[in-house]
Amino acid sequence: MASDVRDGGAPVAVRARGWGWRHATRTAWALAGVDLDVAPGERVLLLGASGSGKSTLLAGLAGLLDGGPDGTGEQAGELFLDGVPAREARSRAVTRGTARTGLVLQDPLAQTVLARCGDDVAFGLENHAVPPDRIWPRVDAALRAVAFPYARDRPTARLSGGERQRLALAGALALRPGLLLLDEPTAMLDPEGAALLREQVAAVLAATGATCVLVEHRVAPWIALVDRVVVLAPGGGVIADGAPGDVLAARGAQLAAQGVWVPGHLPAPPPRRPAGPAGALLLRGRGVAVRRPGPPEPPLRDVDVDVHGGRITCVVGPNGSGKSTLALALGGLVTPAAGTLVAGPALARRLGPRPARWRPRELVTRIGTVFQDPQHQFVARTCAQELAVGPRRAGLADAQVRERVTDLLDRLRLVPLARANPFTLSGGEQRRLSVATALATRPRLLVLDEPTFGQDARTWAELVRLLAALRDDGTGIVAVTHDEALVDALADDVLRLRAGRPDVGAVPAAGRAR
Amino acid sequence: MILPDPLAVRAAPSGRGALARTNPVAKLLVSLLISLVLLLTVDVVTAATALALECLALPWCGLGARALARRAGALLVAGGSAGLVTALVGVDGGTRLAALGPVTVTQGSLLSGLAVVARILAIGLPGVVLVATTDPTDLADGLGQVLRLPATPVLAALAALRLFGVLAQEWQDLAHARRARGLGDGGLLGRLRDVLGQVFALLVIAVRRGTVLATAMESRGFGAHPRRTWARPSRLRPGDLALLAGGAAVALTATAAGVAAGTWRLLLG
Amino acid sequence: MSTTVERQNLPVRLLAVAAVPVLAGALIWAAGLPSTPSLFGTPLADLTVPAALVVALGGLSAVGAVAARGRWRVVDLVVASVLAVVGGLFFWGVATVWEPVTRALSLAPPSSALLAGLWMVPGVLGGLVIRKRGAAVYVELVAAVIEALLGNVWGFSTVYYGLIEGLGAEFVLALLLYRAFGPVPAVLAGAGAGLAGGLLDVTVYYPDLAEGTKAGYVALAVLSSAVIAGVGAWALTRALAATGALASLASGRAAQRV
Repeated sequence: MASDVRDGGAPVAVRARGWGWRHATRTAWALAGVDLDVAPGERVLLLGASGSGKSTLLAGLAGLLDGGPDGTGEQAGELFLDGVPAREARSRAVTRGTARTGLVLQDPLAQTVLARCGDDVAFGLENHAVPPDRIWPRVDAALRAVAFPYARDRPTARLSGGERQRLALAGALALRPGLLLLDEPTAMLDPEGAALLREQVAAVLAATGATCVLVEHRVAPWIALVDRVVVLAPGGGVIADGAPGDVLAARGAQLAAQGVWVPGHLPAPPPRRPAGPAGALLLRGRGVAVRRPGPPEPPLRDVDVDVHGGRITCVVGPNGSGKSTLALALGGLVTPAAGTLVAGPALARRLGPRPARWRPRELVTRIGTVFQDPQHQFVARTCAQELAVGPRRAGLADAQVRERVTDLLDRLRLVPLARANPFTLSGGEQRRLSVATALATRPRLLVLDEPTFGQDARTWAELVRLLAALRDDGTGIVAVTHDEALVDALADDVLRLRAGRPDVGAVPAAGRAR
Repeated sequence: MILPDPLAVRAAPSGRGALARTNPVAKLLVSLLISLVLLLTVDVVTAATALALECLALPWCGLGARALARRAGALLVAGGSAGLVTALVGVDGGTRLAALGPVTVTQGSLLSGLAVVARILAIGLPGVVLVATTDPTDLADGLGQVLRLPATPVLAALAALRLFGVLAQEWQDLAHARRARGLGDGGLLGRLRDVLGQVFALLVIAVRRGTVLATAMESRGFGAHPRRTWARPSRLRPGDLALLAGGAAVALTATAAGVAAGTWRLLLG
Repeated sequence: MSTTVERQNLPVRLLAVAAVPVLAGALIWAAGLPSTPSLFGTPLADLTVPAALVVALGGLSAVGAVAARGRWRVVDLVVASVLAVVGGLFFWGVATVWEPVTRALSLAPPSSALLAGLWMVPGVLGGLVIRKRGAAVYVELVAAVIEALLGNVWGFSTVYYGLIEGLGAEFVLALLLYRAFGPVPAVLAGAGAGLAGGLLDVTVYYPDLAEGTKAGYVALAVLSSAVIAGVGAWALTRALAATGALASLASGRAAQRV
């Protein structure tokens, strides 16, 4: 188990004195004047507003930032691991067969290097010139340490997000690091995957006693694991440092205002109005079955769903239960393989009853879809142009288009970003922009796939308010989500799926009472 | 459009696939050697001899007849069309066989056309077998250990190839998202512009993912030191050497046949 | 985006070394080549001027490649590989529509060179985005390998094409000492790749066509590559830089600082 990696590198002590970093493409410093001391074996949680350089500090600790003439930026001050500058510690470790630090990043899809699980874990060992006969025992030990459910030759393409993160953790552990760096490792995982990963991290830290620096913006699940909380300021240094209880008591409200999920300062959803009468029928699905050639999700079968205007339907279920596939079908983007999915006259207006057959410019004024990854939806060069795309395609006059664009920019607080390229926006801004673009054509039905995925507390609160307001205006909303808080705050109807079918064991909620 | 996945981990082929189990580097070198030798000349005898000898070795390549037909079929189509072009507009010589307006088919051009078909097939066939029976990770191991190519570019290319499967899925998601935004109809030119936009979006996402992948690889020690070990040893075994010898024999025999028949003509002059 | 060649005092030693291929080319031109061996069916003496040019320019670009500064970092290599993978996908996509289109165009072979520029885009793009020596040939070569892996009709000869076309673009960028990456260098790099690819095509794929047809083919290939690959790759690089995706690369640093 986790004890197999116990005999590894000794826990590392961290010392930063006036450390700062400036990326070459920016004029402002990401961090400046950071003074930090972490004792061996301590576990630190780094908090701060987004853009406050937390990832930069982790990259610096991992020795990845090159301040030299050929490098990517400028460094100030010193950053030491056990008395050795971080960058040197990395290159020295490579010749010794163990690494000082192990880094786990946020994006599960971009961290797997090789096609088979065992090979992926062995990659780090190969780079550190470990003799071949000692590589595979260490690989097996690392996989056992994270309780990895598959054998060595499992193709990595068939892993879920949570499994990929555990594999990345195993890859870092195989090098027996004395300092474990975790950069929002659960941000892109569903709740089950996140819980499993947290469990493994706790087990590993208990067994190895390694120092740990963790960045997360959901504080509550990790609070029991950490000894210390450090808060960073954007472009500045450490503004708070101490025991979790103390720091959160002193800075909790401020952090919550900046978007961190602080226990005790969670965003309050708007009060629920009593469930009113259902509006016009927008979509009716009976026995809907959908196949998707891409991901290995089970095909969707036998789903019955009614979507009405003025109500919010939440589709919930474990990972791989076909929720996203259902969202695509309801959005008119894939044709059901069996069953019927028919649009009511209020939605279809003058068109035929099957949304999948509508032409795109007809679809966009009736159903708006917001995707899980906002970057998939960007088609223009500036935010303002992005908002104009939908109305233009729908055939509106220029003056009307301009009016809608300014209105949406105002409503979603995107005015300062009107001329920015959509890809350069932060996560929360991109989410707001993608919702705004779906609303630009005033559809009667809005389908959202994981709208609150990985979002900070402020964006979450805004989205909830926005969706409630839209619902009150008569728009029908379908939200596919695994965020139970969102379901509690908004859902009028809940559809539970499991392995591609409706979960008949769950209690059907046709409107939740307060 | 369902894209093939080049990174599908190749299961060990059936027992008859002696050729398939050889070191990927040996297969690669054989393909390169044969293609190089055949590229030097265009004549029917050389190309046909090489093709015939290659076909003799096909039963051992470990590919089922259907899979082979599918892959080689595309090769036949290309070869056929190139041969047709050469026969129609190639340099004329010998007796005139047919004339259709401005284009003429003569004995000389017809022979050239046949030569081109045979050549394309003979060059392409070893490549087809190589691709169908080789796991990319094993090929990378071979390139690094047997050919001693610098490990960093080889592994970076392999890691990027692993991202390919992810990108294929992203392409599907991008297509759906574009439809949801109202794009996708509007005449041929409009659709072309939309597709180009989709390619661009894929490029942005790919480059971003690549940057994160680079950080992940660096954090595991990649690129810090030129010395590295290999977890999966790759060596040339007697079977591989036999394959190399066989490939050299095919190349030599084909060239000898062409020279003997008097049709071998060095392309460069 | 940097569009001007940095004016720096090139060290004297570099100038001296660069003078060697120029002098060699001038010597060949002055002395003339012997007429007995023949190449491509033409006596060698007639190829004096092209040979002199090849020696001079080839030598200069070799000097340029050696003298260029800039070490390859891991992120350069991985992004170049990613560009190559997308490029290979792009090649595969074009190849599946290429055959029916060329079969229509190929009854008059020079016209199939019209779209030749499509094959050069990844190489030029790689050179402009990564801005290190060898980037163009690496991206083009790996893209060709990936296309071969995906299973296209030409099989392995695609790899040779990728290598040679990539070298064509690389030579141009090396001549400019890897310091100029604006629209004009991009067009020239595209033209270089087109020249290499066109010459390779008439040698390998259509060796028995008439001389005039071959010349027309190469000329059209050069023009098509200069436009599609040169201008196209430059526009693509600028658009990529605008999205901030190139922030950790040399081309991103040359973009406007935020």
